[in-house]
Amino acid sequence: MMLDRRLLKNYDWFLLSTTVVVSLVGLANLYSATYQTDLGFFKKQALWVSVAMMLMVSLSFLDYKTLERYSQHIYIVSVLLLLLVLTSGKEVSGSKSWISLGSHITIQPSEFVKLSLILVLAKFYHDDFEGGPYGFVDLVKPFIYIGLPIALIMLQPDLGTALIIILISGSMILFMRVKVRSLLFLLVIILGLSYPAWHFFLKDYQKQRIKTFLDPYHDPLGSGYNAIQSQIAVGSGKFLGKGFMKGSQTQLRFIPEQRTDFAFSVIAEEWGFTGALFTLILYFTIILWILDTASRAKDKFSMMVCFGIASMFFWHTVVNVGMVIGILPVTGVPLLLFSYGGSSTLTAMIGIGIVLGIRIRKFPASKEAIAL
Amino acid sequence: MQEYKRSFIVVTIILVQSFLILAGRLWYLQVLRGDEFERFSLNNRIRVVRVPAPRGRILDRQGREIIANRPSFDVYVLPKDIRDLGFLTDTLSTVLGLDVKNITSKIQAALKQDRFKPVLIAQDINRDQLALIEARKGSLPSVIIEVNHTRKYPHGKLGASFLGYLGKATESDLELYPGIRGDDMVGKSGVEKSWEAYLQGKHGFIQKVTDALGREVRWDFFEQDLKSRDSVQGADVVLSIDLDLQKAAEEALGDRSGAVVVVDVRTGGVLALVSHPTFNPSDFIRGIDAKKWKELIADPSFPLLNRATQGLYAPGSVFKIVTAAAGLKEGVIDSHSGFYCPGRYRLGSKTFRCWKPAGHGWVNLRQAIVKSCDVYFYNVVAKLGIDRFATYIKDFGFGALTGIDIEERPGISPSREWKLKTYKEQWYEGETISMGIGQGYVNSTPLQIALMTSAVANGGKLLKPQMVKKVVSPMGETLVENHPQVNHTLSVNQTILDLIRDGLVGVVNDPSGTGRNARLDEMTVAGKTGTAQVVGLGKGNHERFKDHAWFTSYAPAENPEVAITVMVENGGKGGAVAAPVVKQILEVYLKLKAEGNV
Repeated sequence: MMLDRRLLKNYDWFLLSTTVVVSLVGLANLYSATYQTDLGFFKKQALWVSVAMMLMVSLSFLDYKTLERYSQHIYIVSVLLLLLVLTSGKEVSGSKSWISLGSHITIQPSEFVKLSLILVLAKFYHDDFEGGPYGFVDLVKPFIYIGLPIALIMLQPDLGTALIIILISGSMILFMRVKVRSLLFLLVIILGLSYPAWHFFLKDYQKQRIKTFLDPYHDPLGSGYNAIQSQIAVGSGKFLGKGFMKGSQTQLRFIPEQRTDFAFSVIAEEWGFTGALFTLILYFTIILWILDTASRAKDKFSMMVCFGIASMFFWHTVVNVGMVIGILPVTGVPLLLFSYGGSSTLTAMIGIGIVLGIRIRKFPASKEAIAL
Repeated sequence: MQEYKRSFIVVTIILVQSFLILAGRLWYLQVLRGDEFERFSLNNRIRVVRVPAPRGRILDRQGREIIANRPSFDVYVLPKDIRDLGFLTDTLSTVLGLDVKNITSKIQAALKQDRFKPVLIAQDINRDQLALIEARKGSLPSVIIEVNHTRKYPHGKLGASFLGYLGKATESDLELYPGIRGDDMVGKSGVEKSWEAYLQGKHGFIQKVTDALGREVRWDFFEQDLKSRDSVQGADVVLSIDLDLQKAAEEALGDRSGAVVVVDVRTGGVLALVSHPTFNPSDFIRGIDAKKWKELIADPSFPLLNRATQGLYAPGSVFKIVTAAAGLKEGVIDSHSGFYCPGRYRLGSKTFRCWKPAGHGWVNLRQAIVKSCDVYFYNVVAKLGIDRFATYIKDFGFGALTGIDIEERPGISPSREWKLKTYKEQWYEGETISMGIGQGYVNSTPLQIALMTSAVANGGKLLKPQMVKKVVSPMGETLVENHPQVNHTLSVNQTILDLIRDGLVGVVNDPSGTGRNARLDEMTVAGKTGTAQVVGLGKGNHERFKDHAWFTSYAPAENPEVAITVMVENGGKGGAVAAPVVKQILEVYLKLKAEGNV
């Protein structure tokens, strides 16, 4: 691939460096969370972060037009991977969400589905020249795009990822505007389905999670335990925190999933309000920056891709942090770039890579052509 | 993409609002409620392990241990650390010899409640069991061995009736003594109960850092804010009891049912107190089991009753001391007054018999006491009348609590009003007559008889009996020191007491005295026998209806130091049965005195 000098000149160093900072803070945080027990997680994650960064940088040089062209192929491959998970996946604590690649590497296809769905939806809206607001019939095709992976993920089952996918694609659909009448109609259908869903589709533990969210102290040693311990960890960090690697909640393992879903509680405990707020600002900076990229996009496809990736970061951040600080139910949603996990790290960095690629190509080619 | 500008503005607003909500919540948790959560996190990781305090010891007057302590290894299970319930219960049941079902149900009940609270499985396991559990410790992470202190009774049952027993703290105990915990043992009777507040130690604690699994972790950073407090042993209670004398008294009474009271006539200090049959305090160490408890309270020989302070008996002829004192004080008789005893006394149509059917002939006061002539005292009390007599019964301390610091009963001091109140009946003159020789409504504890005897011996001071000499803290400071206390001074003067004392010396030392079996060569003993009817005179031969044998005494007669009262239930004649017991105790007393120990 030939490198265009303009690409380097216009390179989005700000997004790149902010992403790198967040990943490094996340790694340091993971180090503190695991050095007492098993640094293997830290080492593995460090490796994933390096691989993901290389992938991110490489992707930024790929023309997003290529992605547009292959978006449907990518989507189909990711759905096939989901099917593969269900047939020959590896079961971890009750859900089949992983496929093994060799003996050490496992990937979680549901993470990548987020990106492929963003691409395919962006492509769908790009090809549509009406430009909304859309009626109910216009929503059928995107609903099929969304429904297929959701159904497969619910079968695993992975409630958290399904929820995030609904939130991301829902944001995209709403952003493209839906007729008020259709919106109300949709709302009625959702409410109508929620009753049988509660009774027939939700597993007991899932109901328990929702109940626990309403009152975590109802079952303080069972399903409410994590929520309470996490709030204690966050709250006890106070303004300045207990210090790096000195968070007792973290170090004494009062929060069972502090490596993954509860990673944010570690920084909140050890660095206090200052550290937690700093991290939150980093995330919102990234989101706002991607949103800014979206608003300056040259075409609808790149705009929607950026918007989708922004909403992916947004929902992951809000749902995860909201859970850690006790304002949202405990669902297995990782904090991108912070939580341990190769697939989510790759997904996040690939997403940023795509945005980088779009950002550096937003400038009209003509100006550069003149300069050259 | 100008047409989406408005949408971007809306999205940006949503974004900023979301950020503010998250940041606001962080501020709320970390800044506004940070201190509170800091406490939570501290409580989370700090486990308070109690360091149980040993109870104070109970010592005899010379500082020798009557009740001491020894370690007890107790087995607990922490439910939240249980890995394999089946393996756990199987192992414990094999090692401890307990029922699997029993252990399982205990643990399952706890699992439903508080999984962080240890469940007591077995107390006071032996060394072999301890070794077996320690050997399996690795595979039993939930098992905790706690070292507690428990009572040790180096002299077995000795003094059990006044030392008392322990039991698990009840709700009211927990309210009364805020420092204790549900499975602590507290005194339920005797000295253990009445001196509980001093005997009880102060539990200490150690804080330990534990991780979320409850495992103890060592980490300097967390250990600097750990606190601990040493436990403080309870104060030692030093009794006025003398171990040797107590042993001698118990041996002297032997297997017979009855009571012995030995008091220092100068101070009221109780030197020995025996009640037989009694219980084994060791049975109560771990909290008595229901079956054994039922057996104890259903036992017809009343082992839990302290006969010396709670047993109520007709005093029989030892009560003639009161009759004589009343007669003399009221001028009904003087030292020369004589009555003729034909072996019976007639009042209207009723005949009251003397214990000697042939009669004693003409007897004066001294002879009447020495020979224990019933007819003489019938005459005296008949002249006194119930109203005057009743004031002397009260005067000598009957019908009132002595104020001893263990359980006691007041007995009955009858009077016209008392009968009217109790039975709604008039007083009959015949009832006065039998009371003159300690029969009828009057009844008293052996302790009251001993105190009456002391009063005669010490010149009329009715002393408050004291089980405890002093209470000494583990640091050696004296917390309580008991000084002799006079409850009441008798209304009779020394001249009257001297007349009675002369008679009492004769009881033991005159050839015709009824108490000759208590005579010693080395020391003059004074005393009075008693043979109290259980049912009507001479009726029935059954063991249960045999008379109670009494002997009350003091010595040395010239300068009294000690009073001894012996009562043998259904023992028969006081002179034959009770007097030798006194003699045996006095022989030991003499030996101790020679050694300078009393």
